[in-house]
Amino acid sequence: MQTTGKAKEFRAGRKRQLFLRRLSPLLTILLLLLLWQAVADRQIIPRILVPPPADVYAAFTTALADGVLAKHTMTTLGEMMYGLLFGVGVGLVLGYAIAKAPLLEYVLSPIIVAFQSTPIVAYAPLLIIWFGTGPSSKVVTTAVIVFFPALVNAIVGIRSVSPPLRDLMRSLNAGPWRTFRLLELPAALPVILAGLKTSATLAVIGAVVGEFVGSGSGLGVLVIMARSQYNTPLVVVTVLTMTVIALSLYGLVALVEWRLLDWQRRAAS
Amino acid sequence: MRFSVENIEVNFPAPAGDLLPALGPISFEVADDQFVCLLGPSGCGKSTLIRVLAGLLPPSAGAAYCDGELIQHPLAGAAIMFQDTNLMPWRTVLDNIALPLEIAGMSRPERYRAVRKLLPQLNLENFELAYPAELSGGMAQRVSLGRVIVQQPRVWLLDEPFAALDALTREALSLELLRLRARSLQTIILVTHDINEAVLLADRVIVMSRRPGRLVADIPIDLPRPRLAEMIYQHEFLQLAKQIRGCIEDQRA
Amino acid sequence: MLTLRRFATIAALLLTSLVGAQADLTDERILLTFIPNVQFAPFYLGIQHDVFSDAGFDVALQHLQEPEVLDLVAVGQANYGIVSGEQVILARSRGRDVVYVFEWFQQYPVALVHASDLDLSDLAALRGLRIGIPGRFGASYSGLTTLLASAGLNETEIELNEIGFNAPEVFCLGAVDAAMVYSNNEPLQIRNLAAAGECGDLNDVAVLTVASQVDLVSNGLIVNRGQLDEAPAQVARMVGALRDALQIAIDNPAAAYLASLPYVDTLPGADTLVVALTDAAAQQQDFLADDPTRSEVAASRRALAEQLSEQFDGAALAQFHVLLNSIELWDADALGFSDLASWEAMRDTLALMNLLGGELGDLDSAFSNEFLAVSDE
Repeated sequence: MQTTGKAKEFRAGRKRQLFLRRLSPLLTILLLLLLWQAVADRQIIPRILVPPPADVYAAFTTALADGVLAKHTMTTLGEMMYGLLFGVGVGLVLGYAIAKAPLLEYVLSPIIVAFQSTPIVAYAPLLIIWFGTGPSSKVVTTAVIVFFPALVNAIVGIRSVSPPLRDLMRSLNAGPWRTFRLLELPAALPVILAGLKTSATLAVIGAVVGEFVGSGSGLGVLVIMARSQYNTPLVVVTVLTMTVIALSLYGLVALVEWRLLDWQRRAAS
Repeated sequence: MRFSVENIEVNFPAPAGDLLPALGPISFEVADDQFVCLLGPSGCGKSTLIRVLAGLLPPSAGAAYCDGELIQHPLAGAAIMFQDTNLMPWRTVLDNIALPLEIAGMSRPERYRAVRKLLPQLNLENFELAYPAELSGGMAQRVSLGRVIVQQPRVWLLDEPFAALDALTREALSLELLRLRARSLQTIILVTHDINEAVLLADRVIVMSRRPGRLVADIPIDLPRPRLAEMIYQHEFLQLAKQIRGCIEDQRA
Repeated sequence: MLTLRRFATIAALLLTSLVGAQADLTDERILLTFIPNVQFAPFYLGIQHDVFSDAGFDVALQHLQEPEVLDLVAVGQANYGIVSGEQVILARSRGRDVVYVFEWFQQYPVALVHASDLDLSDLAALRGLRIGIPGRFGASYSGLTTLLASAGLNETEIELNEIGFNAPEVFCLGAVDAAMVYSNNEPLQIRNLAAAGECGDLNDVAVLTVASQVDLVSNGLIVNRGQLDEAPAQVARMVGALRDALQIAIDNPAAAYLASLPYVDTLPGADTLVVALTDAAAQQQDFLADDPTRSEVAASRRALAEQLSEQFDGAALAQFHVLLNSIELWDADALGFSDLASWEAMRDTLALMNLLGGELGDLDSAFSNEFLAVSDE
């Protein structure tokens, strides 16, 4: 097929547009950094409240070199992973059960709604007393917080499976397992993955809330320790680390989504 | 396979707690290898009837038999084609057509071989890796048809399969259906609200009343086979179409 | 029904609005830590008994976390705050210029609470114990480090458990052998739990105070450097007012408790208790007119506690006892003074903990007793 000059021009324009769009988040970050540096330089806000980027970078390299950052990050990551495993696991299984047996929803929804609508920060101290002061209680706070999006999205996802497709599976005499594997799971996957994205970002909150209440290590503890030592640059470093973790986890799920939901993307274009 | 429908009635629960009659009572027989069209206004319960025959819906009263046996479960050997294409959007053309074989436990290479053999007749050779959303309406419907054929069923239950298509595509697909069927004979029950389609395809047209659908007329179509698109302008065809229209208008009055 | 408690609230509101109407008062915010609690009675009393307004201030109180108190005072969002001495050293070592002008707690309030049958007369016995602590920060951590240093131990030789602010529960569950607590509060709570049979087979607890080992600078009033330089006379008046309010609280705990009622929502304040305390406060007023000595006043506090315990149960009096315990930590011949040695001891502890930033400078500039001298005149 031959492309005319105009089509070529058009395509180049589109490429340029796409490139700019990809670049824009980086530009935003760069702009924020410049603004930050300017604020620090001019002393618009006292240095003790907003430390200059150079101080933060220095705190970062120090924390990296002495292993402090790695140690606390690993703790928090571990708590998050187990919390996600339990919270999302239970959420999905329970969500599936509720979607299949509406009676279960009537029985469980008061408890679930109560659990969800009560601020976890308020009862986190109780969880610390019940589940111990070690990582287990943080796994619980994480699990509790990531559970709900997984549950709701599992319910919505499974319930959104189209009835004609269910009829098709029945007419083909597909058993429960094949119906789940070939119909329900792939049909609910987009919704479940959307829930998983929410859970992934909430996991950091769950772990840090638990750590705030009482913990030996973890990024939440590092924030408190740095704050109590008036080491504001280290506070900023720790908070940014949490941000990076949350974004990475979100990105990871998005990547899985990209791989699994190829068909959705192709349908959209 | 032959079917026997005896005084079937279907009622659906209405919001107020009482029952909404949706179908019947209706009785008829379908002989082996016969092509029967169920024709009726929308909402008359023809789709409901197909679901009963497919074993997807137990009737509220009466009974349906297939080869003398009471229909209680989805029939082995019967394939359904649903109102819209009813394809799985996450599966490629190849995998959508192969679905029945996968459920039957056939290995991947085997089922792909079977589907690939079918693709040329369906004019889908170059689309095996496409997703349903990337297909035109006619192509998607051919995939749906392929999913029926691949099962090599002895009964086809077709629920307004071409309703969503434009007139030309629809006629082409209808004739294609006949061509595909010609290779081996099967019993076909097709639901439609299009008189021309019914006359062009069927050995027999069963006209149903408005909800709750009852039998209004049972008209044999003895036009010669193979049926061709030009036939719709022939005198005999027009006569039959007119007769059927008359039945529908009688009960409307 | 208009309870006495509600009446007290309304009276307090009326009082503050009246005082606020006086145009010549200076608005001042004093930032406190923790949450409203009877331990802050001197401040409530200072407002309610016009001590601050007589000194020319319309005082508002606000509770924040300790680092926030310090930073807000450092940047001049508020002129005054109450923090523990170690916060002053830590913050100064990272560029916060605040000055400590009045030592409120004469004794470092942190202590190690443990079962009384555990013998800690030799501190070396701390080795290997499971010790609970809110976290590796703040006064409890400094206190523990100091205790360990006195025993010649370091942190790796004990089993340290971060338990948040849940010491009574965790201790009573037996998850730790001892816990770092505030000596005026948690030991009392644990005793109450034990008395109710809700603390395992524990009979009584003993308290090992940090103050018994080392004199560390404790909680006190900090002031913003700019305020100190620009309005030293005002600072002196504030220091004087706080000293007066603190002295009244020490001398008349019943009045101090009553003054706290409108501020501390969960403070037990049954009508009968309020009546009893109102009587006691009036009697104490008469007693104080005769200019009793410090030990006579201390004896009068013990007598009041005993007299009340005949009339009320432990739960009703728990917070009153917290107040009395606190007073023991406040009381001194001369209120407000801190000495260099206690600052040095604290600095050494923090250096040991490797917590100091590079900008500490001279300890002499971290605190000042000179406003106490001025306000004496």
